[in-house]
Amino acid sequence: MNNSAPLMVVGAGISGVTAALEAAEAGREVILVERDPSIGGRVLRSHNYFPKLCPPSCGMELNTRRVERNPRVRVLTGTTVAAATRDGEGWNVTLKTAPAYVNDRCTVCNECAKACPATVPDPFNLGLAEVPAIRLPHLDAWPQRYTLDRDACGSGCTACVDACEFGAIDLDAKETEETVAVSAVVVATGWRPYPLEKLDDLGGGVLPDVISNVMMERLVAPAGPTGGEIKRPSDGAVPKRVAFVQCAGSRDVNHLPYCSAICCLASMKQAMYVKERLPETAVTIYYIDRRTPGRNEEMLNRVDELDGVELVKGKVGKVERGAGGALKLRVEDVESGRLLEAETDLVVLATGMVSNLDTGDTPFAVHTDDDGFGLDDNAAKLFVAGVARRPEDVAASVRDATGAAAKACVAATGRTQ
Amino acid sequence: MAKPNEIIPSASFRKKLAERGGDTATRCYQCATCTAVCDLSKGDCLFPRRQMLASQWGLADRLASDPGVWLCHQCNDCSERCPRDAKPGDVLQTIRSLAIEELAVPRFMGRLVGNAGKTWPLLIGLPILLWIGIIFMDNGFAVPERVDYQIQRAGLEISLVDAAYAQDAHGEAAGGAHHGVEHVPGKENRIIYEELVPHKYIYVVYSTAFLLAMVAALAGAAKFWKLMGQGTERKGTFLGAFVPVLGEIATHKRFGDCGAAKTRKWAHFCLLWGFFGAAFASALLIVALYVTKDPLPLAQAHPYKIIGNISLLLLVVGAVWLFINRMTDAANTGTSKAYDTFFLSVVMTVVFTGGLTELAAFVFPPVLASIVYVIHLSAILTMFLTVPFSKFAHMVYRTLAMVHERMVQA
Repeated sequence: MNNSAPLMVVGAGISGVTAALEAAEAGREVILVERDPSIGGRVLRSHNYFPKLCPPSCGMELNTRRVERNPRVRVLTGTTVAAATRDGEGWNVTLKTAPAYVNDRCTVCNECAKACPATVPDPFNLGLAEVPAIRLPHLDAWPQRYTLDRDACGSGCTACVDACEFGAIDLDAKETEETVAVSAVVVATGWRPYPLEKLDDLGGGVLPDVISNVMMERLVAPAGPTGGEIKRPSDGAVPKRVAFVQCAGSRDVNHLPYCSAICCLASMKQAMYVKERLPETAVTIYYIDRRTPGRNEEMLNRVDELDGVELVKGKVGKVERGAGGALKLRVEDVESGRLLEAETDLVVLATGMVSNLDTGDTPFAVHTDDDGFGLDDNAAKLFVAGVARRPEDVAASVRDATGAAAKACVAATGRTQ
Repeated sequence: MAKPNEIIPSASFRKKLAERGGDTATRCYQCATCTAVCDLSKGDCLFPRRQMLASQWGLADRLASDPGVWLCHQCNDCSERCPRDAKPGDVLQTIRSLAIEELAVPRFMGRLVGNAGKTWPLLIGLPILLWIGIIFMDNGFAVPERVDYQIQRAGLEISLVDAAYAQDAHGEAAGGAHHGVEHVPGKENRIIYEELVPHKYIYVVYSTAFLLAMVAALAGAAKFWKLMGQGTERKGTFLGAFVPVLGEIATHKRFGDCGAAKTRKWAHFCLLWGFFGAAFASALLIVALYVTKDPLPLAQAHPYKIIGNISLLLLVVGAVWLFINRMTDAANTGTSKAYDTFFLSVVMTVVFTGGLTELAAFVFPPVLASIVYVIHLSAILTMFLTVPFSKFAHMVYRTLAMVHERMVQA
């Protein structure tokens, strides 16, 4: 029996947007739910993505346009799934949408942000910079509308309301709730980086110049906290030596037991960033294995040919404070059999991806594997796409999401596969 | 013997390693975190990653000649950080027991002690049979009667001393006091063990056992030193490296550098000095017995006695400390396998039956007391004969490895 109720896609990162568009373009009504004030997820936080090393905005811009022009996709940003129950052939889902302090009269003139006296750590830049409490989430944000961190407002402050010529700000806006019936659900809740603080043996969370790979993406991004200049967080100095520590908390029973599949390529890509901007800076990548499956091996060949990029087989065991603001790494170079006490200026920990399915934010009871990644549930018409399903890169996520959309469309018709 | 670049994998070695507690070596994927986090691993004698690889291949000859195996003090920093839970600390401990077996002279003794899990009845039984044979030949099991003596006692004695003054006591009964010991008949009942085992046998048996153990230990040491030196260049003199190594051992410097199991430093420190002190006190006792002919048992205030008692205290403190560590922090103390259990059991038996012999002389039925005494004598013999092949052997091999490390890095 064909259930004509819309599909629901939870999470509007590259996987969720792709799944929603594929289903909509196949003729299905789709509700796309996103927790953040704008769509695009983690992909937009990358400076470039491999293997073509193009900025994610170009890939995302295309998708944003597809979303904008497709009347079958209803996008709900600032929205979370509060409850979900099986109802006959489909689901009854209760959605909660955060108060719309800024409505669609906003023209992105920036007067409110200029007037705002409160600042918050910028979530888009992973807290590496401070931004006004009212702001555009980021340059490529869609919808192009300002967002307000109400909790950061001083009591009685109306600076932004006073500054807005268009009456787009309503500080008394309330949270709204609606319940929708849907035929099938695609969960694309994505991932979060493995916390740096859990890697204190490697200086994570202890030494300011030990950063994670996702932070490195922001350090090179033109819209990042340093305007795209690679600088050490501690003193703003340009690093003469950069070390990448692979498998930082990955393939490790004490941390994430699995391989996140992208960190090797991410570090190679970031080594290229460094050589592009700072040709004199020496880059060393310390690895256990160089995992570049399929055609991604091309990346390895490109990095191998770069002058001043060294690949050393050996997992770094310790990162400590060295002399004169430098950092000291202890690692065994397995190929030469020598123990190295290497000095460097900036350490990038190649941290892995943790599935967001364990956060309890979505009430869908998704079955997971031992590592917390989701499994499709055909009987429940519940499908998983992107990194919520397994660690993978952008290209694989897009293919994966297309498959999930197809499965959800078929399930919505009432056919079992 | 393998040429420098020759690889001789041994499936049987791998199997043996797995059986003895090194089965986790197969999990290793050679990331080298272990070597990088080890505070003792440095220079040319790196560990544990190489040894993990050699274990997976079953390269028995390389492991037997590897100084890194012995430079490890098993703090288990590596096991704590190992991303595969391959427990390099435990694997190295197992390798050490197998290396002792590989280096053993004669080989069959190494195998006998190494396989103590199976051979323990033989290792314990043969010395018992020897003593039974001696007793049978000497007096045909004439179990001594309990005799009445008042002995002016001055506290604890080790069994050898006990036997010695018991002889005196017996002599007094036969007419005449020696060494100033005052014996008053009718107040105390005890068994005189020398009636069962005359001292001459004790001297002959233990002197021989001690000599054999020394020869075996030296032969093993020479073999290890030669194997370890192949393909490397040592600089300086043995003595020049040996003296600072002794200093390191005396102060337990490397134990202090060990991260995860720091408390073991002081426990092992107590044990080491307890053992040395006890050996020293025993030597002094022989001086007292035969050179200065001091009255026995020695008074509590006697300097020799004080050295002995302090050593005993150190041994007890160290042993209890390690035992508590083992019970409360299993993750950092590694696994105890049959080989370890045998070693500990023999040492414990010696100590326990030693004390019991004392007590038995006064309260046990004579037959039972005699049995306890024979078990005590046999356990000491087992301990003496297995020293070069048991965990005790680390004294020799670890010291040599430390000397070697200094000489190659000089």
